[in-house]
Amino acid sequence: MPEFISQTLNGLSLAGIMFLVSSGFTLVFGVMRVTNLSHGAVYLLGGYVAYSVIAYKGNFFYGLLAGTVAMAAFGLLLEGTLIRRMRGRPMAELLATLGLVYIIDDACLVLWGGNPLSLRLPGALEGSSNIPVGQITYPNGRLFILGVAVVVGIALFFLLRRTRVGAVVRAGVDDRNMVSALGINVRRVFTAVFVLGAALAGLGGVLGGTIFSLYPGGDSDILTYALVVVVVGGLGSYEGAILGSLIVGLIDNYGQAYFPSLAYFALFAPLVAILLVRPQGLLGRAAT
Amino acid sequence: MKSPSAAAALNQVDDASGVIGVVDRHRRLLSILVGVVLVVFAGVLLGSGGFYTSLVEDILIYAIAAMGLDFLGGYGGLVSLGQAGFIGLGAYGIAVPEAHGFGPWTSIGIALVVVAATAAVTGIVAIRVTGISFVIITLAIGQILWGLAYRWVSLSGGDNGLVISGFPKLGPLDLTNPQVLAFVILAVFVVVALVLRTLVSSPFGLSMLGIRSNEQRLRTLGYRTGLHRYLAYIIASIVGGVAGILYAFSNNLISPTTMDFSHNGIITLMAVLGGLRSLWGPVLGALIITLIQQELSIYVSRWQMLMGAVFVVVVVFTPDGLWGLMRQGTAALRRRRARAGPGDAARPDAAGTEAGTGQSSATESSESGVR
Repeated sequence: MPEFISQTLNGLSLAGIMFLVSSGFTLVFGVMRVTNLSHGAVYLLGGYVAYSVIAYKGNFFYGLLAGTVAMAAFGLLLEGTLIRRMRGRPMAELLATLGLVYIIDDACLVLWGGNPLSLRLPGALEGSSNIPVGQITYPNGRLFILGVAVVVGIALFFLLRRTRVGAVVRAGVDDRNMVSALGINVRRVFTAVFVLGAALAGLGGVLGGTIFSLYPGGDSDILTYALVVVVVGGLGSYEGAILGSLIVGLIDNYGQAYFPSLAYFALFAPLVAILLVRPQGLLGRAAT
Repeated sequence: MKSPSAAAALNQVDDASGVIGVVDRHRRLLSILVGVVLVVFAGVLLGSGGFYTSLVEDILIYAIAAMGLDFLGGYGGLVSLGQAGFIGLGAYGIAVPEAHGFGPWTSIGIALVVVAATAAVTGIVAIRVTGISFVIITLAIGQILWGLAYRWVSLSGGDNGLVISGFPKLGPLDLTNPQVLAFVILAVFVVVALVLRTLVSSPFGLSMLGIRSNEQRLRTLGYRTGLHRYLAYIIASIVGGVAGILYAFSNNLISPTTMDFSHNGIITLMAVLGGLRSLWGPVLGALIITLIQQELSIYVSRWQMLMGAVFVVVVVFTPDGLWGLMRQGTAALRRRRARAGPGDAARPDAAGTEAGTGQSSATESSESGVR
């Protein structure tokens, strides 16, 4: 039983990282209809930036901030230069971001080399603490990730559901043309959402770098997770990203713990089930 | 490689528009041109051994896989990011039975069955969605195939991969001889190209195009559109698997890297860079990218970055890829000539009904809309 509880916590912290990455992906898709395949590469880049800042400054939280802000800036650059040129050509956007993956990956290889790098957590977060349920000791770092994911999740939920900005974004998901016709600057909304998505990916990269290491190819691993999550949860649905992360994170972690050689089948199972029963995803709308 | 009779038949069907005749004449010329290039290839294959043989083999193998992808993506509107997964599956389909003591011919049979069966199973899931979602699902399928190869160590040898040792022999067909192997690869390439050419101009291929531009209409007309997509997916996957079988014999080694995300992306890049819905475009794309990968990488260490940059530029500026660019160029030339001479005044406007179901571009490709 203690084993099961700690595996569950592992699954939840994995779900936390999946949520950070996939919520950005799904928001960008939902509002802009842009399938950003470089989302995983942004995750990796964010982690690497944090690594360098931590090495320079010696403080994990500077790295956390730097990775997130740097990726927000990168998202701004990307949206302004590349994505905007291809408005209304979803497949071109998807393919261009695929090309971008090779550029970013190669740049990361030049700058940070091919060896796996790990982000070290500061003082208190490095240890473990006792958890009353089931009498287990559990690493603080993973609890920290879980905490950050929950805080970000709630903050985004309130942003989307309770603020004017969020209302505009949700309206954008539903009907972009109508939003535009109402006199709202859709272009600015697009930029903001893309920047937010990149920042979330960067944040995910910094946190992910503490439990998985950062390595070439790590971006496609996380991208796969994110894609499975958004397909299960429903493309473009924020709540779907939360639900999908929980399902996929837990199943994947149990799979890896109990059936290691078939872990990828465990990842595939929810995907197949969802696609057969509900192709648009659990909380997604029918394809338009 | 469109046969003259089929071209003539197409001409008769749409004889109202003179443009098609021009395109057809033009296309025959291109076919001859490409045929000549193939002969030159064969010469290179024969003349040199070693590096260039394996280079051309790689180009042909990737061209086969990319053509399969184009069949599905260009004609069916279903762009896949999982094609390298089927290359890997075909290659593992050879390597795993061989490691268990089966002969090469049995292994080829097993490989084909495994590829077809996997395509049949994953296809049920994949064709539930279209457009962007299809790309994502195939990417996930590709990643899962990669993950299986990577983690199912007892079967696949894990990260180290498997070595292919046995080669099929059948009379004069002794694949242990690299030059025979090279010509077999060339022959398979030609056969696959002919089969796909025939398919895309067959009723099946035409209804695929119809589904791509307006699925609702085709369904109303009584076409089983889901079945069409499903079959196209299986055909494309088997073509990928065939490429994989050739890959296994040409490289003597299969490891999970062959089917990772990066390689899946590269096959898609090949097809799109060259230009979808042309079948020649992917061959061009395979040629360019394999050259960048293997030739340029000798001089430029950052070839991956270069490849990505070239690709982004092509996607942003030429929606129809390089093949489309060439066609636009020749079309512009032809128009200028037509303006000079009287008579040929028909305007290419067949592409008026592009519904954009997941195709990268479409609006400018007036000629490709004909097909």
